[in-house]
Amino acid sequence: MIVAFIKKMLLLDMLRGLVITLKYYFSPKVTIQFPERVKEPRARFRGIIRLYRNDEGGPLCIACKLCQKACPEDCFDIEGKKFEDRMRPVKFDWKLQRCTFCGLCVEVCPTSAIRFSKEFRLSSTDKRVFFFDLAHMYEDFDLQSYLRGGKKEE
Amino acid sequence: MSFKDIELNMGPQHPSTHGVLHLELAVDNEIVTRVKPFLGYLHRGIEKICEQRTYQQITPLTDRLDYLAAISNNLAYLLTVEKLAGIEVPRRGQYIRVILTELQRIASHLAWVGFFANDIGAMSVLLYGFAEREDILEIFEEYIGARLTVHALRIGGVPHDLDEKIMDMIRASLGTIPGRLADIEGLLSENRIWKHRTQGIGVISGTDAIEFGLTGPVLRATGIRWDIRKDIPYSSYGDFEFDVPLGKNGDVYDRFQVRIEEIRQSARIIRQALDRLPEGEIRAKVPRVMKIAPGEVFHSIEAPKGELGFYIKSNGTDRPERVKIKAPSFINMHSLELMCTGSLFADVVGILGSLDIVLGEIDK
Amino acid sequence: MSGFIVSEIIIPVIKSVAVALFPLVMTVVMIWMERRVVALIQSRLGPNRVGFEGVLQPIADAIKLFFKEDIMHRGADRSLFNLSPVLTLFTSLLAFCFVPLGDSINVFGYTINLWVAESPVGLLLTLGISSISVFGVIFGGWSSNSKYPLLGGLRSVVQVLSYEIPIVLTVLSVVFFSHSISLVDIVASQKAEGMWYAFYLPVSFIVFWISAIAETNRAPFDLPEAESELVAGFHTEYSGMKFAYYYIAEYTHMVLASSLVVILFFGGWLPPFPNVEALSFLGYVPGFIWYLVKIMFFLYVFIWIRATFPRYRFDELIRLAWKWLVPLSLANVMAIALVRSLG
Repeated sequence: MIVAFIKKMLLLDMLRGLVITLKYYFSPKVTIQFPERVKEPRARFRGIIRLYRNDEGGPLCIACKLCQKACPEDCFDIEGKKFEDRMRPVKFDWKLQRCTFCGLCVEVCPTSAIRFSKEFRLSSTDKRVFFFDLAHMYEDFDLQSYLRGGKKEE
Repeated sequence: MSFKDIELNMGPQHPSTHGVLHLELAVDNEIVTRVKPFLGYLHRGIEKICEQRTYQQITPLTDRLDYLAAISNNLAYLLTVEKLAGIEVPRRGQYIRVILTELQRIASHLAWVGFFANDIGAMSVLLYGFAEREDILEIFEEYIGARLTVHALRIGGVPHDLDEKIMDMIRASLGTIPGRLADIEGLLSENRIWKHRTQGIGVISGTDAIEFGLTGPVLRATGIRWDIRKDIPYSSYGDFEFDVPLGKNGDVYDRFQVRIEEIRQSARIIRQALDRLPEGEIRAKVPRVMKIAPGEVFHSIEAPKGELGFYIKSNGTDRPERVKIKAPSFINMHSLELMCTGSLFADVVGILGSLDIVLGEIDK
Repeated sequence: MSGFIVSEIIIPVIKSVAVALFPLVMTVVMIWMERRVVALIQSRLGPNRVGFEGVLQPIADAIKLFFKEDIMHRGADRSLFNLSPVLTLFTSLLAFCFVPLGDSINVFGYTINLWVAESPVGLLLTLGISSISVFGVIFGGWSSNSKYPLLGGLRSVVQVLSYEIPIVLTVLSVVFFSHSISLVDIVASQKAEGMWYAFYLPVSFIVFWISAIAETNRAPFDLPEAESELVAGFHTEYSGMKFAYYYIAEYTHMVLASSLVVILFFGGWLPPFPNVEALSFLGYVPGFIWYLVKIMFFLYVFIWIRATFPRYRFDELIRLAWKWLVPLSLANVMAIALVRSLG
């Protein structure tokens, strides 16, 4: 009991805590300085979904509407039309604000036309730009300047 | 003005009500005489939304229940659906599910340790817990592509196999956990201020805990051995050796110790699962449009917060007729009044933190 | 005649302004240092964007606070609500009048003492004046007419009442050695003794240090503004510059507490072991620098402690004061009195 009392008076537990925090003071820091250093998204990263093209530059999408059926949040509004060889989308409306990045549309797509990109910077000052149509959905579309620029009055 | 009966509204905007909980407290000087929780600030009607969605579409919705342990929610829901539809998940799929769920348990407990310590006033532990949790979220990002609302499991199994890179990441992450836990325990468990703040605070007896229907670490801290992973094994939990950590006094200190020990046991389970990972399929064949014959079923799992159960009633279509969620946070929170009455105002924060409630799960 | 004007008017005015500015400059340094040190302890970097390594961050914060709306809600007691932040800040700055920041220096033939006022009872005045500032906290909590500030104010009354006693008792043990309660004489007596009093009086130093943390409402004793319980304690309802006044007053108090520790136990502006010949080269460093280095060390310890420990609970805080610190400091004073009277 006297030993316990002396131990308590020596503040050993407090000193141990101080030593631990001092250890962290000198240890390497874990944070990433964002604009200068961007953390590389991983291979399966679920960024904004994009429509991909086939080798000839035509759309991979065959307007089968499976993604529209699979989507829990009702993001899609797709219409297709029969061209000379196969179905192609003529309308592909997609609402970014509804998307929860769950990945059901990507998994269900039979031609891998819809895929996740690695783009995670999706902010804009104009909420009207979050309604995407077919032209905005392709992978080669300049998403950043579109989001920054806001909706052009037509 | 009398100090006898001050009514205090704690929340929904308060630094330590963990989201949007609203407590109405009556305080006599600093002694709490009445606690009344008000819920519903985060109510989204998830149970009702489930009725309009197909079985596949409900899974991402369950991520939003207990958003600190999304995979556990996925697992509880999927096991219920698979039980209802009679789907057998391949062994490799079951093991991968166990690995992911236990990683999620570690992540959830680490986040809890940080928030709880911050409530008590030890501000650095928050970041130490989060630094470790970050490694686990990286593993989730590597595995499925998301970090918080992961949607990592699918009906019939898991969407991806575990490759060597992910297994190495998991092993590396498990390697750093013991050192980090030792630091956290050195800062908290042995500290005299921490002991003053937690020992003998928020005591609940085993009998009371059972009568309130408490589950999870809060129940086990009272010394009652009830862990669904052990008692009603699901998803091949029976294959693994692990201990169920128990407390003695049912106070805040014991809840902390039980959770810290559970992190160690989860790491043990993950190591065993990684070593014994069976070969084979990861996902059973499930039709794209899944219609389930009329029936009803209840299944529960041991989520990080306690017993998480789903009740699903099907009616032959591809959508459930009724989904009911038995959320552990909701039930555990009801013991708040018993624990807090008669204690000091400062302890309400500690007791509330020790219950590990998540408002997404309470308000649903 | 011009010599009289310089020595009796210009120098005192400059000194007064300097002594008022010194805590403010230290506040700016401290805000940056606190955020950086806490961040580094928590494995992150902290503010490093405004200026070199974020040193201008406090200035940016100050400008922000300056332009913030000054909110006073309808139920508040207007005059008291406005008075209390000023009272807190003013008294904590006033206490610096008696704190010697360094030895006397010679500039252009004039001898300048680095303290504004030398009083034979400087120590008592410093402690007394700094204690008045708790009224600002109490009034602020009361006049806000809101429950969280009221609880914060109540807590601070009890806290200050409890911790004044161990502080005065430990100061008494220093006075047994120095035979004076002038702060300048206490430093001078440590020079004559050739030893800092912390080595003679380790128990007094630790008790004084714990009580000083409690007096300045710093973690782990920051109950009047316990963030996770009382939102922001007594200054919950304050915004804009009035909030900034409380903020500056808190840091001024920390600087004052560190200064008192340095002066009472660590030789003020004296270099280490002032009478040892081999270390006499340390005496070429100006006294003010020694003083600054020492208080910066103790300010660092303030932050270090804050980042490490959980917060005490209200009743534990009072128990610590009355059951541990008061008996301990009483026994300490008696033991020292016995030793001094025998030897």
